[in-house]
Amino acid sequence: MNITKATLDAFIDDHLNEQETIKVEKAVRESPELQAQLSNIIVSRDMGDHSIGAIWRREHLSCPSREELSSFKDDALESQRIDYIKFHLETVGCKACKANLSDLNSSKDSLTNPDTREKRRQFLENSKILLPKKQ
Amino acid sequence: MVSLDENMLVKKIQEGDQLAWRDLVLRYEGRLTNYAQGKIKDHASCQDLVQESFLGFLAKINNFDASRSVQSYLFGILSNKITDLLRSYGRLRTVETPVDSSGNQKSSPFIDPAMGASTWYRGDEKKKLENDALIKCLGLLINQFVQRKDYLKLKSIELIFVNGLSNLEAANILGIDNKTVASHRHYANNFIIDNLKRMNLSPDIFPHLSEQDQD
Repeated sequence: MNITKATLDAFIDDHLNEQETIKVEKAVRESPELQAQLSNIIVSRDMGDHSIGAIWRREHLSCPSREELSSFKDDALESQRIDYIKFHLETVGCKACKANLSDLNSSKDSLTNPDTREKRRQFLENSKILLPKKQ
Repeated sequence: MVSLDENMLVKKIQEGDQLAWRDLVLRYEGRLTNYAQGKIKDHASCQDLVQESFLGFLAKINNFDASRSVQSYLFGILSNKITDLLRSYGRLRTVETPVDSSGNQKSSPFIDPAMGASTWYRGDEKKKLENDALIKCLGLLINQFVQRKDYLKLKSIELIFVNGLSNLEAANILGIDNKTVASHRHYANNFIIDNLKRMNLSPDIFPHLSEQDQD
């Protein structure tokens, strides 16, 4: 795997798939040059620099909508779109979309789990004092 | 893409509406928890991080940029919190700033000395403008590919921009030749440059557009 600045950017944003992440982690551990490059990227980001990849990842620009993921789950999209979403999930390895899909597949369970409901109730109760005051 | 519905929800929360706040938590809680569980196995810690992310969102609700997607914003907050937690576990992927024997931070030996004051200035002064412009350009580009069902181009540039792969690596994954990927990249770069110019911005603000075209 050829590790470029863009690869390291994707690595920092945790946007590589598992195999790529392992490869980059190993390479960075073994190479002082890559460590230096990684450190420079972090510093320049702290200073406000940004890249196309970082913006694309952060804003989830090519992610299908929640509604579209739901249709994908039900196999209710045209074949080209299904193929693209599979690519986005599996090859690009989009973790946000995987989380969305996983939530869509398990949403009934998570809503009815008593512990989750109680924790949510307490959270909503405690957090409402932080809401802006009504005009 | 920001939905009107989402904007309305945020507006109501800004007005102190408890039901809107509850609706937002219910809407995003599941996907955020699943995201956290992909990285942290302890379910209780995941729930805590998700709740902290909601609080982070609420703390800045009055300054929330309506052009941003709530989901992307929440995933961003959560991702930072996960990084902080992993860092505290010693599972930090990035390189730590070295410390001396007294525990004081030393200046990093890795910082590029050529990175001067102009970089600082540009970062502070123009970041939002550049961000917004690029989000718009990329949105137009992706939308064009989707409308034309030109998914091969979209896949090529997603592998290059998002995953940081070279033309050759992207070509191997897609089962096409290197030149085709290079032409996709060239098309995307030109599209972005043209649109930046239309917005009266110099393409020089993203020097890697021309760098990336070369390999």
